[in-house]
Parts: sequence; structure tokens; C-alpha cells
Amino acid sequence: MKKIIISTIAVSALLFTVTSCNTDFDTDVKDIQVTKGDADFSKYISLGNSLTSGYRDGALYSSGQNESYPSMIAGQMRLAGGGDFKQPLIPNDVGGFNNLPGFPGKLTLQVVNGSLSPVPSTPAAALDVLSGGGSYNNMGVPGAKSFHLVAPGYGNQAGLATGTANPYFVRFASSATTSVLADAMAQKATFFSLWIGNNDVLSYATNGGTNSQTVGGVTTYTAATVQTGNTNPTTYKSNDISDPALVAGSIKAVLDGLKSVGTTKGVIANIPSVTSVPFFTTVPYNPLTPALLGANLNTLNTSLYGPLKQALTAFGAGDRINLLSATGPNPVLIKDVALTDLSAQLTAALTPSLGLPTATAFGQIFGQARQATADDYILLTTSSVIGSTAAGVPAPVNVYGISYPLQNQHVLTKTEAGYVKTATDAYNASIKSLADSYGLAFVDAAAKMLELNGQSGISFDGVKYTAKFVTGGAFSLDGVHLTGRGYGIVANEFIKSINAKYKSTLPQVDPNKYSGVKFP
Amino acid sequence: MKKILVSTALLAGVLSYAGGFRVSLQGVKQLAMAHTSAHAEDASVTFFNPAGMSFIPSKLSVVAGGFAASNKVTFQNFNTLQSTETDNPVGTPFYAAITYRPIEKLTVGLSVTTPFGSTIKWPNDWEGKEMVQKLELKSFYFQPMVSVKLAPWVSFGASYIYAKGVVDWDKAVTQFGGQVNINDKKASGHGYGFGFYFRPDPKLDVSIAYRSAIDMKAKKGTATFQFPSQSIYNQLKLNAAGQDGFSATLPLVEEYTIGLTYKVTPKWQVSADFNYHGWERYSKLTLDFENAPIGNNPSDPTILTSPKNFRNSKTFRLGTQYAFTNMIYGRLGAYYDEAPYTTDNFIPETPSYDTYVVTGGIGIKLKQFGVDIAGGYAMPQYRNVNNANLGFYGQSKATAFYLGLGLSYNPF
Repeated sequence: MKKIIISTIAVSALLFTVTSCNTDFDTDVKDIQVTKGDADFSKYISLGNSLTSGYRDGALYSSGQNESYPSMIAGQMRLAGGGDFKQPLIPNDVGGFNNLPGFPGKLTLQVVNGSLSPVPSTPAAALDVLSGGGSYNNMGVPGAKSFHLVAPGYGNQAGLATGTANPYFVRFASSATTSVLADAMAQKATFFSLWIGNNDVLSYATNGGTNSQTVGGVTTYTAATVQTGNTNPTTYKSNDISDPALVAGSIKAVLDGLKSVGTTKGVIANIPSVTSVPFFTTVPYNPLTPALLGANLNTLNTSLYGPLKQALTAFGAGDRINLLSATGPNPVLIKDVALTDLSAQLTAALTPSLGLPTATAFGQIFGQARQATADDYILLTTSSVIGSTAAGVPAPVNVYGISYPLQNQHVLTKTEAGYVKTATDAYNASIKSLADSYGLAFVDAAAKMLELNGQSGISFDGVKYTAKFVTGGAFSLDGVHLTGRGYGIVANEFIKSINAKYKSTLPQVDPNKYSGVKFP
Repeated sequence: MKKILVSTALLAGVLSYAGGFRVSLQGVKQLAMAHTSAHAEDASVTFFNPAGMSFIPSKLSVVAGGFAASNKVTFQNFNTLQSTETDNPVGTPFYAAITYRPIEKLTVGLSVTTPFGSTIKWPNDWEGKEMVQKLELKSFYFQPMVSVKLAPWVSFGASYIYAKGVVDWDKAVTQFGGQVNINDKKASGHGYGFGFYFRPDPKLDVSIAYRSAIDMKAKKGTATFQFPSQSIYNQLKLNAAGQDGFSATLPLVEEYTIGLTYKVTPKWQVSADFNYHGWERYSKLTLDFENAPIGNNPSDPTILTSPKNFRNSKTFRLGTQYAFTNMIYGRLGAYYDEAPYTTDNFIPETPSYDTYVVTGGIGIKLKQFGVDIAGGYAMPQYRNVNNANLGFYGQSKATAFYLGLGLSYNPF
């Protein structure tokens, strides 16, 4: 009897010892040492554009800068011998410059007519110059294109009026003649990050593929150029798409410059598809519901859409416009400069029914008009234009998007988006090959953006991030730049790539602990 | 010998999460023998198998007992090197039952138990706060039952189950910088159970039982949101107090049990059980809010569905009892309990592990009175956490102990 009891206890004891070894972690994170691997993080500098500077909500402001992805990375590097990370902080939390045109303060979410909308704030201060404060680790310059990093005088205050300088670099450039690269080289950093090239296509895209010129209060828009075979940026207008050869050459020049002062270890990121940001994906191409159009729907069909379609069909372009549907959402009317201009033909066809003056106006207005498709991107800023009346255009053909086409600057058409994609792919091919040939860590930011844009987004500890405007959590109120949480996601991609390349063990950040969109 | 038994008995504790949030603590005597079921000594058999009532020696039997269950869960994140421990309050499952046999063929009974529940409390600002800060689940089963002797060696019993429940869940709402409390104190549901109990030989008891699933319906729950500013209330269509109603259904799953007890000698018996739990019913949790468009359903934005992807699980139990005298009994047991979900579906509000548990206890009989104590020590196997849907990655481990004290009264 006792034997049996003893054996039972023995079995229990055995069970106890056999299994208890799996009750505790093999490795406790508290015992993990953060190591630098083959890298040296003691002096880290970051180069890039607005994304690198911590720009968000349409402005650069101090609390946003404190949540820039380079400052997050630097914070983790500190656990492995990293030094201080100095940023050229804006002296207020509003941003903008009140002594320069076109630099409003940050957008804030306000309740306007019962719904939330981003509203720009009044800039808090004039441009402040910090160059007396020595060098800065975060050298991200909002608005910088690839070739700007190697442009002397980019921080020359006198060049602001002529557009050869950038106020954000004026703030911390060491001299009027220096370049971002020269100031970076002078720091003789042990580690760098470089994320540049977005603006070489982005400004083209956010302006609907146009350049603008304002003379005497009147702004005119002309189609921007997709530069190829021209690597002289002084001949570019501000929203042209940079020649891929220029972008590759500029990035190579930056890498060579850094290499010449011994800054050989670093990380470089490619460019996300710009058209996947909320600025392009928020406003639908077909917002004209029957409810919205109401009684106008039939009037539009009989007096405008019908005759137009009939005339266009005669010239073999009947697919440009279809009658408005009374059951489903309808696309907006847009002007597509890639279309054959049928102004003269339309005028001729419509003259018998409308008379010459009206027919001439119709011809000019609708010569390159078509209905938008799912391949066109209506800009976020265009949402307030749709349904408003076009100045100097006779009623009833003066309602933007409905009876008057949205203009070139309002829409990134399928053709223009194609140019953007071609350029982005070309830039990314050279960024990848430069990363490989210079032996740098490489961040596939484009892939991460694609993931964020997917149906399921990216989740961190139960918080789901998507590329949806305002509610997606990753993008700030300008629809292009990220929130602190979005930058946290970016920081982790950089950290993962650095660890993979240099065998370091920098911990990732927790994106959820940074700030997101602030609700009023 | 006795010393060893006593010290084993004092190793208190059990992981009360028998997969998900099933609490295997419905009988102190049973627990001491790994919570096996084929024990028809008193009214505590009621929860395990209504048919067992017919084999209780006394016509009237009354039992009651309670437990103290303590546990701690740890989660560590290799990406960020964060490590978090829960601060869970001690759980107090209890049971009470009464059976009466007016005629030899028929026995009636009532059982009150708390078979499902869990309370987990993570630090308020821990990395997983969006999923859970605190979750309290409680359930009470009220089971009137009847059992009929079909023959001297077999009985059939059935019960109706009325279940009451409480859910109280705090979690962060990170995107709006606030938090939400999801609360319903009046959830309820109905179910049934039945079983056969065999005694083909004086030495052998066999218990076969089924307990149905119960859909705990929270019909009039309240979700209370707290945000830094009230402007969001309007956007989310909440009332002035930041509240919205919700309804949800939480499945308390069905269980199949087969158990046997064999008297090796008049003083020594051995029991074994096999349970099968239908956790796959818990494939998702759907919260249907009255007005707040905070869901993820494309056709109705007030419906929030979270995948849970539980799967059916099994438990194997082995227990033994030895009568030192006709007053003092020693008991031991060990069981193995499977977690009801894979690594990809680990969730921090109801953490589950493949768990080995050793149990032990002492029983004292004084005429019609019985006093039993039991204890247990759980050895949850640490596991990897790889929940891509939540973006929750790392490792988790747990510890658990429990103690129980039970009383029985069998007057005639």
C-alpha cells in the first residue's frame, strides 16, 4: 500500500521536475544587453527632408520635432553608446513663419459646421536663425529635394526671395555659402541616416502636375515638366519631376561626401509611393451622389451631359463623358491635358444649337474635359473646390466638378500619376543599388507604406494603423506627413534594418506611446 | 508519509484558466484528486454529473465550498525589451449544492457554481493597454436537476442551467487618447446538462456527462468612454456622459466528460477523467454598439468584431484517494490542460497555456460532517506570442496557486 502511495508521489514529483523547466522563459528580456554590433552610434546625424525633420500637420513645430523618427532612433542608440541628438527646434509649438508668405502654423482639428476639419493656425513667430548654436544632428530640411542637399547657398537668407534658399535650412546653416552636405561632413559623424528623393516627385503630385505663377494676385497654372535627360536643376521649375539621373547623382554625391570624412556607416531608405498617402486617397473620384445633385441631375443630363456626349461621340471620344446616373455615385468632371483638345470641333458641333458665343465657351471649357475614373487622384485640397463656382465663368456651366471641369492643378490624373510612378521606381532602383554598393543598411519604406495602405493596415499591440485620413492614426492632418505614431512605425523599420546590417541589437520603439491626431 | 501528503496539500494553487476562462474549481474533494468527476459521495457530484446524485449514500446531502485562486501573468516583448506583469486580485470561485431523495428511484438537487470567470489586471499604461487594462468576467450557474435510477447499477440525470454573468472590461482607446469601460452586470443565458452514472460493480464508478454551451447575452451593456475633451462624444454619437449602449454574446462552452473511479482496495481508489471543451464556439467576439460608429464591419460601422479563433481543447486528469482511517483521507492528483488557442491567437485578456497541475488534499469525516481542504500548484508552460492580427509579439508565462475549503453535511 505504502509502496503505491510513494510511487504516486514519485510520479507527481517527476512530473513536477520534468515540466517545471518550461514554466520560465529561456531568455528574460531584462537580461538582454543592447549592443552596437559593427556600428558606432556615438555621433549620429540624420539627413533628409520634411519626413526626417519631424514635420507634421503642415508645419514644423517643437513637439512634432521631438517625435521625429531620427530622434526616436537616437534615443534607442543611446542604449548602445549613442550620444546626444540635437535638433534645430522651432521656438514654439505652432510653427510657420509670420514674416514669410506661405508658411502658416500647424493645422489643428476643429469642429466646423458640426464636422471635424483641419484648420491652419496663425504662425507664432518670424524666421529664427540658430546657426550660432553650433551643429545639429537632425539635418532634415522640409521641402528639400535630392539636389538641394548638395546645393551651396541653400541656407542663404538672401536667396529666400529668389527661391534658391530654404528658410528651414537658413535657420541652422553654418554660413550663407554652405550646403547641407558640407555642414554634415563637418560633423564627422560615426553614423548617418539618409531619406531623400520624396520631394523630387511629391511637389509635382501635390500640385496636380502643375507649376503656378502669381502675378498681381492672379495665379496661373501651367503643366509641370517631367525632366529626363536634363540634370541641371537650375533649369527646373519648382514642381517639375527631377530627372532620375540627377536624383541618383545627388544621393551618390552625399554618400561620397560623407565617405570622404569617414562617415561610412549608415542607413538609407527608398521612397514610398506618394499616391498612397491620404492627400491623394481621401477624396473619392465619384462623390456626386443622386441625393447631392437632386433635381439638377436631369437638367444636367438633358442640357449639358447629353449634348456633350453626343458631340464627343461624333469625334470618336464618346467615352469621355457618360450621362449621370440616378442610382449610383457619379464621377466628377475634370480637365485632362493629356487628352486631344477637341475645343474647335465641339464649338463647331454645338454652334447650331447654342449659338456661336456660347458654343465657343463650351468648346474651350470642355475641349479636354472628361469624367474622372478610379485611376485619377482628386487632391485633398480639392475637396473644398468641388461644388464651388468658378470665377469668371458664366452660369450654369460654372460649378466645379459638376458643370465645370476641375482644372489641372486640382487633380493628379492617371497619366500624371504614371509619370510619378515611373520616376519613383527609377529613384528607388538607384537608391537600392547605392545602398548595396556603399554597404549601407537599406529600408524598404515603399513596402511598409504598401502594408499600411492595405485593408488590414499595420497593428501594434492591438492598435490598428491605416493610411486613412485622420482616423487611420498614422498620418497627420496634412495628409502627407506622419503623426508621432506613424514616425514610430518608420523608426522601427530603420532600427530593424540597422540591426540586420550591423548586427546591433537596438530595441524598437513602441509607436503607440507617441502622439497621434489631436482631437479638439 | 503523512508529512509528505500534508506538505503537498499545502502547495496551494491552480491556474483557474482551464483554457480560456473555464475555472475548474467546483468541488474541493474533487480538486484534491485533479478535479475528477466520478465521486458520488455527496452533493458535490451535482455539477459534474446530475446522474451521480442517485448514488449519493445519504438521502439528504448539502455541500458548500470556496477557493482562493491566485495567479500572475508575465508578458515580454523582444522587439522593445519591455516586460510586464499582471497584478491580479485573488479569485474566489465557490460552489454550493443540495440533493434530496424522496423515493429510491428519484433524486432532486440544486447546484450553484461559478464555472467560468477570470480577473486580469495589467498595469494601466502597459504596452497592450489597447487590448486590455483590466477584465473581470464572472458567471454563476444555477442548476436545478433531477436524476432517475434506471436500474440498481445505472442512473440518468438532467439539469436546466440558468446562467448569470458580469463583464467589466477596461481598455485604452489610443487613437483618441482615452479609454473605454465595457460593462454589463446583467448578462444571462440558458442551457442544460445531462449524464449517465454507472456502478456495474461495487468497485467501479463510471460517469459520462454533457453540459451544453450557454450563450451569455449582454443585451443592455454600457460602454463608457473617457477622452481628453468631449468634442469626440458627438463624433462617436455618445450621450453627454460619454456613454453608448452595446450588446454582445459571450459563449460559455460545452463540455463532454467521461470519468471513472476504481477501488483498488477498500481503502484506496484511483480516478481518471477526460474532458473535451468546445472552445471553437469562441471564434470571434462581436460588440454591437447602439450608435457609436467605432466598429469594423463594412456594412454596419457600429459592429466591432474581433477574431478569437479558439479551438476545442482536452483535459486529462488522474487522481487518487487513500483512507488512512475511516476519518482521515489523503488525496493527490495531476492533470494536463490544453490551451484552447494557438500561438497566433494568444490574447492578453484571457491568457492560456498548456498547463500541468498537481493537486492534493486532506479530508476529515466526523459522523455526518465532512471537512475537506485542497490545494494545487499549476505549471503553465511558457509560450511564444505571435498574434499578427493584433500586432502582439513576444512571450508569455504564468504562475498559479490555489487553495480550497469545502464542507459537506449528510444527515440521513
